[in-house]
Amino acid sequence: MTALAETPLIEAPLIEAKGVTRSFKVGAGLFNRKRTLHAVNGIDLTIRKGEVLGIVGESGCGKSTLARILLGLLPPSTGTISFQGRELSTLDRRAVARQVQPVFQDPYSSLNPRRRIASIVSFPLDVHGIGTAAERRRRALEMMDLVGLPARFADRYPSELSGGQRQRVAIARALVMKPEIVVCDEPTSALDVSVQSQILNLLLDLRRELNLTYVFISHNLAVVEHIATRVAVMYLGRVVELAETAELFANPRHPYTTALLASILTPEPGLGIPETGLGLAFPDPLNPPSGCVFHPRCPNAFGPCATVVPRALGQHPAGLVACHLHDPDYNTANNQGNRPS
Amino acid sequence: MTRPILEVANLSVDIRTAGGTLQAVRDVSFSVGRGETLCLVGESGCGKSVTSLAIMDLLPRAATRRVSRLAFDGVDLARSGKGAVNALRGNRMAMIFQEPMTALNPAYTIGDQLTEGYRRHKKAGAAEARERAVHLLEKVGIAAAGDRLGQYPHQLSGGLRQRIMIAMALMCGPDLVIADEPTTALDVTIQAQILRLLAELQRELGIALVLITHDLGVVGRIADRVAVMYAGEVVENGTAAEIFTHPRHPYTQGLMDCIPLPGRTKPGERLGVIPGVVPSLVGGIQGCPFRDRCPHARPVCAETPPVKTQGEHAWRCILEDA
Ligand SMILES: Nc1ncnc2c1ncn2[C@@H]1O[C@H](COP(=O)(O)OP(=O)(O)O)[C@@H](O)[C@H]1O
Ligand SMILES: Nc1ncnc2c1ncn2[C@@H]1O[C@H](COP(=O)(O)OP(=O)(O)O)[C@@H](O)[C@H]1O
Ligand code: SF4
Ligand SMILES: [Mg+2]
Ligand SMILES: [Mg+2]
Repeated sequence: MTALAETPLIEAPLIEAKGVTRSFKVGAGLFNRKRTLHAVNGIDLTIRKGEVLGIVGESGCGKSTLARILLGLLPPSTGTISFQGRELSTLDRRAVARQVQPVFQDPYSSLNPRRRIASIVSFPLDVHGIGTAAERRRRALEMMDLVGLPARFADRYPSELSGGQRQRVAIARALVMKPEIVVCDEPTSALDVSVQSQILNLLLDLRRELNLTYVFISHNLAVVEHIATRVAVMYLGRVVELAETAELFANPRHPYTTALLASILTPEPGLGIPETGLGLAFPDPLNPPSGCVFHPRCPNAFGPCATVVPRALGQHPAGLVACHLHDPDYNTANNQGNRPS
Repeated sequence: MTRPILEVANLSVDIRTAGGTLQAVRDVSFSVGRGETLCLVGESGCGKSVTSLAIMDLLPRAATRRVSRLAFDGVDLARSGKGAVNALRGNRMAMIFQEPMTALNPAYTIGDQLTEGYRRHKKAGAAEARERAVHLLEKVGIAAAGDRLGQYPHQLSGGLRQRIMIAMALMCGPDLVIADEPTTALDVTIQAQILRLLAELQRELGIALVLITHDLGVVGRIADRVAVMYAGEVVENGTAAEIFTHPRHPYTQGLMDCIPLPGRTKPGERLGVIPGVVPSLVGGIQGCPFRDRCPHARPVCAETPPVKTQGEHAWRCILEDA
């Protein structure tokens, strides 16, 4: 662990996703044929040790599906996931769970209401048959201490805890296996802001102390800007832009990223409510638009956008953008002139 | 100053629960000027929704309301019979809820639901009501408005449903709209669109808006005036400019420090926190409800704190300026 920690960036990725897709068959009533919904549609992604990869995008764009794939909870329909250079499908599910642990949004439904807190936290140890009962309890208490839960909560039930305390339980449970990566899916979305800041501080402290790697999914862009080191922007099952956080927020390249950033409402009176320029053509995931899936809402759409799927451009894996505006094959001076700016 | 469209003075709401009487709202006073946007802001459970239901006379049976004055356009509704409120509600004062699906009836078409109140309050015919509905759907940015009238709520996206709720609230040409977390369930891009729409319509039609939200970002961008609620009380009240540049109540200050704000907070650094938890509202609350969590608390805070004022800015705290 320590040897790895001293050489943070220049090493093989912890997780590498290549061409990952995931589709679901969805039924539309008794008489209709089942249709295919492409929840995740061709994602290449690497996650490097020590980074916090933020994933943003509107609801339904596939963030949680991708999270479950990265956690090994859901197999991809096509494509591969490798973990530390070894393909996930060849690894034992439990071996993966040791290294990649989840924290989910809902601190109410994600904890078993009939178990006491200490036993919820030590549950992964039970599953993996690690230690004696006494050792497991001691470890659970250590974890509770680490996340700021008093030992007197050990024998309480989740219903006796507040939302923020329950989310601490979920984090303690995720950390008890000493994982490499914690995948946090909207971990603060159900919490009040005063509790959200406590949980964000905790995640940041733990990352420093334990040299953790996070995948941090959120629809709150201000939170992602605060915690992430790199950000992937998803739209309708695809990553449309990926960049270092400061770069993405300072120089968004994909028109969808620009619109997302414009939608952030900061408490600055006088600035008013921004015009996103996105229109109302919300996409139907069962019948996605042709070409660039964003083109019906894109204020910059031009020639090829309605017919040609944009390729991912840029110095992969550090950053990429999938938009014809940045494709030298399309974006000639001529096209620039046709753009509505 | 012209007469406010809404005046609320000393509003308290008790709710009977199995555990005892819950003092959900305590001694809340505020007023809303014509065409003005007032935001009620605070964390969950602080009494925002109960306050709005109390104004609209829609409280659950278990709740008891006490209010020394609740005036709409100068008429004290607390002293008029039920009929007075019923005639106003959905007519001159309308409400928009967080989840349109709970407010829209799944069994009726959009058209039926849009026109029902209008026909009742304005004694209008079907054709006239339909025409007004189409006009308002277009106004809230819905294309092919005529076709939408025949659709059912479940056939529409969340963003569209919320637009329809806004159109419905506007049907009778209200003077006051109370919107309770109207964009909390929506994506950020849709939220910005809906809030922009609300603000534009509000300005154009001269409507007073009471917008309830837990999101300080929303407040900062839309409010003329802000009332900050904590544990059932309005702890601070003032213009948006004042509240954001010079918050006086330690709770308001704490809340602002919790949110990441580029330029003020540094990425990756610790954010501010408010230690502890909200006190139980069951049984009596004495003194300042924030004192267990307040960095400035002193023994005297166990007594009811005074209301300090400076111009239009008022706060309930022993401190002149925390
Ligand atoms: N088990 C499932 N069966 C059918 N459709 C699903 C399932 N899980 C997710 N989806 C669909 O896949 C898309 C992506 O969902 P999700 O990954 O939950 O998005 P996000 O987390 O970004 O909101 C959505 O259209 C959703 O309805
Ligand atoms: N029908 C009800 N029965 C019992 N308690 C309620 C009821 N409605 C609200 N409350 C309580 O009243 C307080 C204020 O609630 P509410 O106004 O809904 O808060 P907010 O809208 O600010 O989140 C909370 O403690 C809540 O639990
Ligand atoms: S490819 Fe075209 S439609 Fe898609 S985001 Fe770029 S400019 Fe807009
Ligand atoms: Mg999700
Ligand atoms: Mg509420």
